Parts: sequence; structure tokens; C-alpha cells
Amino acid sequence: MPTNRIEIVPADAVELLDLQAYSAEELARACNVRPEWVVEHVEAGVLQVETSRNEWRFDAVTLVRARRIRQLESTFDADPHLAALTADLIEEVTQLRRRLQTLVAGRAA
Amino acid sequence: MEFKDYYRALGVAKTATADEIKKAYRKLARKHHPDVSKAADATAQMAALNEANDVLSDPEKRLAYDSLADAPQARAGGEFRPPPNWDAGFEFSGGGDDSGEHSDFFEQLFGRAARAQRGGGGDFGARGTARGGDHHARIELDLLDAYEGAERTITLRSARLDEHGRAVNEERRLQVKIPKGVFEGQHIRLAGRGGEGHGGAPAGDLLLEVAFRPDARWRAEGRDVHQRVPLAPWEAALGTLATVHTPGGATEVTVPAGWRPGRQLRLKGRGIPGVGNHAAGHLFLELELALPPAETEAARAAYAALAKAFPTFEPRGGAGV
Repeated sequence: MPTNRIEIVPADAVELLDLQAYSAEELARACNVRPEWVVEHVEAGVLQVETSRNEWRFDAVTLVRARRIRQLESTFDADPHLAALTADLIEEVTQLRRRLQTLVAGRAA
Repeated sequence: MEFKDYYRALGVAKTATADEIKKAYRKLARKHHPDVSKAADATAQMAALNEANDVLSDPEKRLAYDSLADAPQARAGGEFRPPPNWDAGFEFSGGGDDSGEHSDFFEQLFGRAARAQRGGGGDFGARGTARGGDHHARIELDLLDAYEGAERTITLRSARLDEHGRAVNEERRLQVKIPKGVFEGQHIRLAGRGGEGHGGAPAGDLLLEVAFRPDARWRAEGRDVHQRVPLAPWEAALGTLATVHTPGGATEVTVPAGWRPGRQLRLKGRGIPGVGNHAAGHLFLELELALPPAETEAARAAYAALAKAFPTFEPRGGAGV
């Protein structure tokens, strides 16, 4: 239901997350999966990981990608590699659409 | 709370087999998936489908749901309250899917609070308490917001199912101070703005994924920014001192003589500002050629003179190209 009420978020509740913001456990929680799912997908090369102080760290882009892959696997019973391929294509289409929008805006300007 | 007709949401009969439910769900998911559908309410539609599928594809939940659907209150429509201990005698082994938005109806029957009341495991705390789930949303900002920081009102849409099982959009508006130095793909965490906690437990967080609005003037790649800079032919050939309006403000740039296609100038540290230990990005000026129109006699004469000055110039690299 649309509302005109605006909730003001105080500055101390706003945090700009670091590049490698998420641990494997946090990534698993965000995707609502067990940590083993994260391990399997990293070892399969489906998710990119950085290692810092012997701990896996994931960036925000990987978290979004992991959630998308998880959703594709869940919705269509998709193989992880097929879900990853679909996620790659979705990301590429998104990028191309944005570039197209930029070009169209540039021509109109 | 309204009773949700999950069978109607998936367009299947109450006698549908698990296979029929799966097929119906996948067919609708392909149509309404937010990565595919251009409809404004695609996310809401998908959330409604996910919720219906969560229940009907899980034999335990489906059995319990069907018992509620047979109650006179459910058939009467309007306000619905599950009878006390409605779930007594049903066993729920699965943790449930907390990854999406759910209606109050789902939350009360199968959600985190309900599982906590039943003493569910996982990330639940003491019996009856559960931290709210984290919510995820994507927001569009202007690149200039990253340079200066900004205060923005963002509108977030979520979904609930109405009494007919149809998805209904809900909106909430948040006024947020966007930190300087944010770049595309990064997350901004709004503490306590996610799902409500249950039994006194804290609310979850809202994670905002940042994207920049397409802008004809510039584009960002990480903290680096690329900007197109058109040059007149004589500026490109002879070099010039050009005033360029960059995202960080107007600046004087020395353009060297001898332009060629693809040439860029890098202004160190003039990209998106750094935060903490992270250095600022660079600003790449992509030098392009802009031709003045030959609309006057003098302009046409100038182009003709140019042609005479370069009698051997071959712009297409030779025959047949």
C-alpha cells in the first residue's frame, strides 16, 4: 500500500560495507543455505572468493550472484554450473542494457 | 490476517500432485522472474509464487495448510485467525525458506516466529525469540552522490498476498544519508531496517546494493570513472588547454597534440573518492573528435581548404576499405 510517510534513517545506522564484507557463514545466511553449499560452489569455481588471514571473504557482487544462483537452483532444480551460466548471462544482459541506455542518453543529449 | 489461497496463486487444483505443482510453479516463475519480466510488480508476483510454492511443495506444510483451509473461517473469507495450537499434531522438519518476503499469513503459520515458538533450531535463540531476517534491495544513485555524499529518499517495494491470493505491492520510503565514496555493486547496510525480530529479538538489517543511473556524460567501473571529452579537430590535432566539467567539478586539462582514436588521459585520484584505507579511483578522459557542421559558406570553404592541405590523406586506409 503506497504511503507518504518517510522514515528517517539516522546516520549511525548507515554503514558502507567494505570490499570483502562477508564471511562464508554470512554469505550462507544471506542465501539461506548451509555453509557446505558455499564450500561446494567455491570449489566448483562457481563463486569467487578472496582469502584474508586464512579466512574466506566475499564481496557484495558475489553475494548478489550467490543469491541469484541459489534462487535458480531452487526454482528450477538447476545444476550449479547451469545456474551459474544463467547468472552470467543475466549479469551480461544487465550490463549491455545499461550501456545501451547510456548510449541512447548520449545520442539524445 | 487474511487467509491465503496458495492453490489459486499457482493456478492448480487442491488435488494437484507434487509434479503438477512443480510444473505450475516453474511455468509461472519463468514468466514473473524479476530478471526476465519487465512488469513493475514482478518482484511482488515472484514473492507470492515463492510463498505458495514453499508451502505446497513441502508435504508437511501442505498437510497442515490443507487442514486450515478446511476450517470454516478460511472458506468464509475476511479476517482469519488460526485456531489455538492449530499446528498440534503436525511435524515440521525443514527450516523453511527465509530468503524472501513473506505475507503475515505465512509468517504466522510457517515463518521464523512460528518456528521459534515451536522451538526451531538453526539461528534461533531462546524459545520464542528470533532475530529478524536481513532484507535485500537494489537502489539507483547518481554518480555525483558518490563524490559528495547525499541525502536521498528511497522507495522500496515488497509484496503481500491479498485475500484472493493475488500479489499486492507495498511501499515504504526511507530517507538515507548516502556515504561519500560509494561505488557500484557495493552494499550499504541499514541496521535494524530488515525483517522484524520476534519475541524481543532485534530486527534484521536492510542491505542496499548500489547501482548508478545511466548518464551520457560518464560511467563508473569500480572507483574509476570514464568521461567522454569531445574535441574540435584543431584542438585534437594541435593540443589545447581545455576546461572539462568532471564529476568533481570544472578542471583545466592539458590535451597534448596528436589525437588518435581511443586516446585517454588519466587524472590520478579524480575518480570516486577513497574511504578508509582505500585509495580514490582515477578519472579517465576519453578524447573524441567532434566535427563542426558545414552549414555556412565560410565553414564549407574551411573544409575545402583542409582537403587541399592534405591531398594524400586516406582516412579509410587504402583501396577497398
